[in-house]
Amino acid sequence: MAHTLELRGVSLRFGGVRALTEVSFGVNEGELFSIIGPNGAGKTSIVNCISGRYRPTDGQLFYRGRDITALNPNARPSLGIGRTFQNLALFHHMTVLDNIMVGRHHLLKNNFITGSLYWLTGARREELEHRRKVEEIIDFLDLQPVRKATAGTLPYGLRKRVELARAMALEPQLILLDEPMAGMNFEEKEDMARYIVDLNEEFGMTVMMIEHDMGVVMDISHRVMVLDFGRKIAEGDPASVLADPHVKRAYLGEEDEVLVDPDNTPATTESAA
Amino acid sequence: MMDYAGRAAAADTFPKLLRLNAREHGGDIALREKDLGLWRLFSWNDYQTRVRDFALGMVELGLGHGDVIGIIGDNRPDWVSAEIATHAIGAMSLGLYRDVLDEEAAYLLSYGAAKLVFAEDEEQVDKLLALAARVPNLKHIVYSDPRGMRKYDDPRLMRADGLAGLGRDRAGREPGLYDQLVDATRGEDVAILCTTSGTTAHPKLAMLAAGRVLRHCATYLAFDPKGPDDEYVSVLPLPWIMEQVYALGKGLLCRMKVNFVEQPDTLMNDFREIAPTFVLFAPRVWESIAADVRAGVMDSSPLKQSLYQLGMKAGLAALARGRHSATADLLLFRALRDRLGFTRLRSAATGGAALGPDTFKFFQAMGVPLRTLYGQTELLGAYTLHPFGKVDPDTTGVAMADNIEIRIDNPDIHGVGEIVVRHPNMFLGYYKSPEASAADMKDGWMHSGDAGYFNDDNQLVVIDRIKDLAETARGERFSPQYIENKLKFSPYIAETVVLGAGRDALAAMICIRFSIISKWAEKHRIAFTTYTDLASRPEVYALLRREVETVNATLPPAQRISRFLLLYKELDADDGELTRTRKVRRSVINEKYAGIIDAIYGGQREIPIDTVIRFQDGTTQRIRTRLAVVDLSPDAPLAEAAE
Repeated sequence: MAHTLELRGVSLRFGGVRALTEVSFGVNEGELFSIIGPNGAGKTSIVNCISGRYRPTDGQLFYRGRDITALNPNARPSLGIGRTFQNLALFHHMTVLDNIMVGRHHLLKNNFITGSLYWLTGARREELEHRRKVEEIIDFLDLQPVRKATAGTLPYGLRKRVELARAMALEPQLILLDEPMAGMNFEEKEDMARYIVDLNEEFGMTVMMIEHDMGVVMDISHRVMVLDFGRKIAEGDPASVLADPHVKRAYLGEEDEVLVDPDNTPATTESAA
Repeated sequence: MMDYAGRAAAADTFPKLLRLNAREHGGDIALREKDLGLWRLFSWNDYQTRVRDFALGMVELGLGHGDVIGIIGDNRPDWVSAEIATHAIGAMSLGLYRDVLDEEAAYLLSYGAAKLVFAEDEEQVDKLLALAARVPNLKHIVYSDPRGMRKYDDPRLMRADGLAGLGRDRAGREPGLYDQLVDATRGEDVAILCTTSGTTAHPKLAMLAAGRVLRHCATYLAFDPKGPDDEYVSVLPLPWIMEQVYALGKGLLCRMKVNFVEQPDTLMNDFREIAPTFVLFAPRVWESIAADVRAGVMDSSPLKQSLYQLGMKAGLAALARGRHSATADLLLFRALRDRLGFTRLRSAATGGAALGPDTFKFFQAMGVPLRTLYGQTELLGAYTLHPFGKVDPDTTGVAMADNIEIRIDNPDIHGVGEIVVRHPNMFLGYYKSPEASAADMKDGWMHSGDAGYFNDDNQLVVIDRIKDLAETARGERFSPQYIENKLKFSPYIAETVVLGAGRDALAAMICIRFSIISKWAEKHRIAFTTYTDLASRPEVYALLRREVETVNATLPPAQRISRFLLLYKELDADDGELTRTRKVRRSVINEKYAGIIDAIYGGQREIPIDTVIRFQDGTTQRIRTRLAVVDLSPDAPLAEAAE
């Protein structure tokens, strides 16, 4: 089956630092795919490669069969790829509503010249239509009480939700979530997990999520990939990934050749393990 | 003024009156609901159509006369439509509080043998499906909001629109059927099973006849007139008798517009957008609004703070002379009323418990025509209210009409006794429980169980539940609730329980108001992590000590709080510590905190706590802390010296 998103042998180097080493995987249509790994494993680097902030040093990225390795970041939302950021990137002085509206920017047909002829060019109708879509997202994420609040004044958990709302406003087919639950308390995490599952099932969005919290990931993901020091060490359904000895070592901190000598090729590691 | 009684006589059930309104005023707005950020309008015709479709849909499912239909969820047009549709087919509606516990829901639904439940959304459906085997009679669960419902494949589930579709088809085949059903409804039949608030054991179900509800509403409206240009925001729980009276009875009778908010959390904002002409809030809500205003002022600039002080002073001074201060209005109150959504209020009420006199004055000075009402579910809610111009915060006013008779049974030397009432429109007895009916109803008089008396002005003063009046070991009688209310008027105290029955002195367990104290702590650079941690800070203890001492100064010596502690958690209805209407359940508290209470009276200075809190979602949290007990009695060793 052709993957919606596929990475083939992607490597990323910053000078002498190897952020990613020959990472290959595919995300299927309608899937909830998660990438986990310890701090500095290269998780966010992968998202940045997909969303176009970084150009991979080696390897290729395909989205729906099309090579997007060299595509500009700003061209990717139109393809149907949306993302959120690990460290919040909201417009702090704008309202929640306006922040989400920004997400629809690439869908607006009117520009600031045609928009000045408000009624003639359909800008009014267009705005109403977009506003309705935004309200549906607000409803979906239960943001009604803070609709008109300034984004910067909101607590962290809520701001994360606003970020998700903005990414949803792009109407992406593939949404990349970079640690959507980082820094949240238990209740907020549970809510967020609910939203992500609904997003996947009810809105039919393919979700690729990066997350720290193993419990949540294993609960809601269809498939999981584990990264360690920029390499893929396991991939599969949550149960088999949990049972994988490499994963256990990476997470429990036991000694493993992969950890001792990151320059070993995966093949050597396999034989050594 | 409209002829309310005439209208109630012309149409003596909810579906009849709705049909009459739709015929005469079909295009007028009956309801509004905020959805996706916009107020959606429902005309009387829309209302009537939804009710007809629900009713005929239920007929298609084989439901009819004598059945019980449950309704649970937030206040929405579908909630009230479901109730009127239930009455239209001759069935009885049973409203459940939206945050009802599984245990209670199972009890009520199986006791009433409900066959169908209107459940708003996934949250409520989850609850009902979890009850499964315990409610064998439940055959249909109708939900309005499809979100999150994909995962279910239960034959009992049905969308509200699906049910309405069934009804629409039936109406197409049998155009006259609905009118026949409505014509067959009778005002003296039981239409509503209303849960009584139940501070003890299981709630009882009061049987109410629709004709009586409408006639009682007519009496109420004659005392406090409303009309089609009035706006009402429906936020009280719909299963509660007063919301039945306002959103359904009065709404149908005087055609005031009933508005439903987007979410409970958007209440204050939506409230302001509508700016209703009438409001009833529990004392707790009035107090928290007043507290929020004060907290907001604490946060504002020095200029605004001094303007507030100035305006407040002028306003209260004018109020004391029985007037209204124009200066204060200009400086402060006009802006404040606008901010709170009170600009168009023509009538406002509180009830259910006493409201602190200072809060009362606060709102009166602001120009909110606040009055107290008093009543019981069995007597169809409120039956006393202050007449305009004779508002006294200590009383609950006078009977709304001459046919409402109130007497005081077994008065003591001060005239205090049990309040006993009868009027022509009261309840028909408790559902399936003639013994309970007989216990409370004697010779047609309802025994309220409340202690009260008539003052010199012939206004009714309600003190407390008779059984809640407590006596110390020294034989002094006191009302814990009265003292608790005094304490709770402090912005720093969210909830408190006053102890002392059978003990040698009074003591208080206090829950701090986290929202205010956390702000106060920030301002004073006091570091804290959780509620438990904040409540154990010595600075917070010192602050609360001053508050308790202030209240003590206003009480006779025998009724003063001699010891207090700050509890490590908030009292919560989910833990059974408060009723759904947030009254303290003393028996539960006495049992649950027995160890702490004994330690307080055992003279312990510090009580070690090691307990587990269970949250609503099933998660638990272990709490280990030490509770300090502050001794305020004059002969106590000085606390400072001991530390």
